[in-house]
Amino acid sequence: MTGGYTGKIARVNLTTKTVSTIETAKYEEFGGGHGIGSAIFFDLVGDQLPFEAFDPRNLIIMMTSPFSGTFMPGSGRCEVQGLGPGLYPVEWFGHSNFGGRFTAQLKFAGWDGIVVEGASDKPVWINIMNDQVKIEDANGIWGMDTYDTQQEISRRVMPKLKFGEWAELAGDCYTTQIPAVVCCGPAGERKVRIAGLLHGPGSQAALCGYGAVFGSKNLKAISAIGSGGVPIADPKAFMDARLWFRQFQWDVDNPREPEKFEGRGYMLINGAPSGGNVSNGSFPVQPARAAACASCPRGCRMRLASGDSNESVCAGSMFVRIGGGGFGGGPPAASTMPAGLSGKLTRQGNDLMHRYGLGHWQLMATQSYIQFLNRQGIIGKGKEIDCDLPFDQSGTFAYYEALFRKLSLREGKFGDFAAEAAARMAEKLGRFKEDVNSGNLRLTYWGTQEHYSSQVEVEWGFGALLGERDLMLHMMANYPLHWMAQSGNPYLTAEEASKLYAEAMVPYNDDRYLVDYGVGPTGVYSDSKVKQVAWVKHYEKFWVGAGGFCGWRWPMCITNNTADRRGATPQAEPKFWNAVTGKKNTFADCMELGHKIYTLDRSIWILQGRHRDMEVFPDYVYDKPSGGGSELPMVIDGQWKYDPGKGRTLDRAKVEDFKTRFYKFEGYNSDSGYPTRATLEKMNLKKVADLLQSKSKLG
Amino acid sequence: MPGGKKAESEEVAATKTLTRRDFLVTGGTIVAVDALIATTPAKAAVPAPAAKGDAYPQSKGYLVYDSKKCASCTTCMLSCSLTHYGVQSLSLSRIQIMQDSFGKFPYDIKMAPCRQCETPPCVINCPTNAAFIDTKNGNVRRIDAKKCIGCKTCIAMCPQQPHRTVWNHVDSKASKCDLCLETPYWNEKGGPSGKQACVESCPMKAIRFVAQMPDQTQTDGYDVNMRNEHWTKLGLVDDSRLVPPVAMGAPKSKPAPKPKE
Repeated sequence: MTGGYTGKIARVNLTTKTVSTIETAKYEEFGGGHGIGSAIFFDLVGDQLPFEAFDPRNLIIMMTSPFSGTFMPGSGRCEVQGLGPGLYPVEWFGHSNFGGRFTAQLKFAGWDGIVVEGASDKPVWINIMNDQVKIEDANGIWGMDTYDTQQEISRRVMPKLKFGEWAELAGDCYTTQIPAVVCCGPAGERKVRIAGLLHGPGSQAALCGYGAVFGSKNLKAISAIGSGGVPIADPKAFMDARLWFRQFQWDVDNPREPEKFEGRGYMLINGAPSGGNVSNGSFPVQPARAAACASCPRGCRMRLASGDSNESVCAGSMFVRIGGGGFGGGPPAASTMPAGLSGKLTRQGNDLMHRYGLGHWQLMATQSYIQFLNRQGIIGKGKEIDCDLPFDQSGTFAYYEALFRKLSLREGKFGDFAAEAAARMAEKLGRFKEDVNSGNLRLTYWGTQEHYSSQVEVEWGFGALLGERDLMLHMMANYPLHWMAQSGNPYLTAEEASKLYAEAMVPYNDDRYLVDYGVGPTGVYSDSKVKQVAWVKHYEKFWVGAGGFCGWRWPMCITNNTADRRGATPQAEPKFWNAVTGKKNTFADCMELGHKIYTLDRSIWILQGRHRDMEVFPDYVYDKPSGGGSELPMVIDGQWKYDPGKGRTLDRAKVEDFKTRFYKFEGYNSDSGYPTRATLEKMNLKKVADLLQSKSKLG
Repeated sequence: MPGGKKAESEEVAATKTLTRRDFLVTGGTIVAVDALIATTPAKAAVPAPAAKGDAYPQSKGYLVYDSKKCASCTTCMLSCSLTHYGVQSLSLSRIQIMQDSFGKFPYDIKMAPCRQCETPPCVINCPTNAAFIDTKNGNVRRIDAKKCIGCKTCIAMCPQQPHRTVWNHVDSKASKCDLCLETPYWNEKGGPSGKQACVESCPMKAIRFVAQMPDQTQTDGYDVNMRNEHWTKLGLVDDSRLVPPVAMGAPKSKPAPKPKE
């Protein structure tokens, strides 16, 4: 193998308590990260699908990318894959990822990833120290919260480690670093369907419920520490690339045009350090540092003098502040905007959520729905779902403390009910269709909450609908465009922004209208939008998924940090990729690999029962006018303008027509959405075609 | 480890001819030093005093840093190992950044570049003169890997914690910061008159090369404030009486209100 890989993946069977090795080279054609994870999942259990997420056959796959452990900017994510118990109506083969130091340490230990299968008969954790992979007894750890778990495991792994000193790992190898631990909390242990995985105090794989899969396997944690290194195919080119990239970074000493850009909004979207922790953005501010994930020049997180809310960003730092409202025009905020809640209590409340191991993003919808059902008279003292939650104190720390405890520990009838999460709560009450279609419960795609308006920021909605969960690709339309006009002082006109975006979106860059969010002939139902959604899915699968990129950093189609406002995409990605791996791939080559990985994922979903008929939005998207949100570039009356799309609904027939053209564009049968044999074989996925055909699911 | 461009060097001390085996297997004082290494924490080691009247030529370059500005991305460490060895490894890096995710600012991070000591214990105590002062290249304190026998004396004698002499477990040699004099995997010229990989790559501009020797008497003499008015705008102020800029677009120019007593 060339640079970037260590060459081996650990395969841990918790049922038999055995550890074996998978050669990474066997899967190199899938790039890394998500691509390799999907291929391994298909090979190991694809022919056994469908089965449930809590079945011991389910896998937890945690893959690094060739960039993990290197200084490739914003590449420190760890991709987690497996059947997701938090998804609905099917526990799709999903993915979630988290930042921090885990992939770097896993790589330094000499592993490209870890695959966990089976289920232990007693609680265990996995201890990875260089070449050694051991299954350890979790006695004394099982039951701990996520913070205590990580610190206790660090002590067990390196009992002689003193912060700020060297410590010997083994065989005359030394490190100054603390073991990187990822774990589930009490919520995961009890298979709460929205339990996440925590690494550090705030890095969370929040989607799909992988904390619950850990719990179902009696797996508490995985620890990694290593003293090795990552081979680089062309070190000089890699160093040159890293220094070349400085032009796209926020200059902390001398930012470009500070009189224009030194406002928190612009700083957040354009890569200034620290802005991700929104709990520390108002008076009185806690002294803090910008804290980065491994290798990231952005450092969007904080570590505070108070030590609370460390390394949390965005939803992880503001859940207790907003409690689940405010996204995509809904779900209803449910009296969760506590005016009196201090920054300190907000931070400590969020830490409590992390300690229990609750996945913040899906918790938002569940918490909001609990409040909704309380107002409907269904949940509460003496109600159908009897519950003594202090709803009259909603929005207070005491309320959240009680909620987190009941939910995480499955306390009483309410706890068991809520631990199944919003979608299954609604199903159990027989009101899923009613509440989702009305927009009261905005689980717009696969049991995950609508992130931004599906009617306006359509690539997000389409991308999620044609995927398996919320898209979470923030740097496409979201940050740079979402906030541009909203700032009141956009640094690019709608015409300029759309032009720069389109030019960056190789290989479809000859289409001028890729980011037209209007409803005209080049807008949200157009062939241009088909290409944009395909681009989003392919970028998501390769650069973000296989490359381990952070969705808060990539893609970077525009930036205020350069004179011409051009971002690093699409130059940077292949420049770094080829320097590390020694390959000679173009950006377009890798996007086609993204297409291949998406097609493989889609094939797995099809083996689980996916059909185009399932890929439909709830009724409210078609019937209930959008409240408007961010202002996006749109062609209106032949002119590019920023517009919020207020009052817009999507047209059912046009959406269905869009889907038909999307399936064809991707090489899938437009009646079923199934990939065709020709498409699969062209991608060297003949065995996938054979399996689909054997199940009568070939397109 | 591969070779590559190598700066011309002239060593201050006379050449010795001990091998690692000689050093490890012969008796007398050398064994005593070995025992010291095995049993004594580095911070307890005391550098051998220089002979009366000896003066070690001062390095013409130093790395200073701002531990409150560091974001602990470890880019500096990875740049160091890449340019020197062609791989990215924290353990091989000659600058060490340690972080405790659960810690409290500013004690959650410790930055540890080599100090290029005025009186360098690593040079003074090296039994083979592998550690030397490179008088042709700005008096940088260096280690010649070819002469290093892997005895770890320089590591034990470094009075800093963590010790700034770094064990290269791949080659079983000691190493230390050379201000990038010998960086075969970088297209830039390093050293006191050139560039340093950690300085160039740090996204927070939290490491700086200076020609003037920092205060040697203080542990934090190298830890200096590099934050200017733009850092304050990030909302990471050390003074909680300031209000961070939360508004969109152009920053507010209103003066920060004073807190209620």
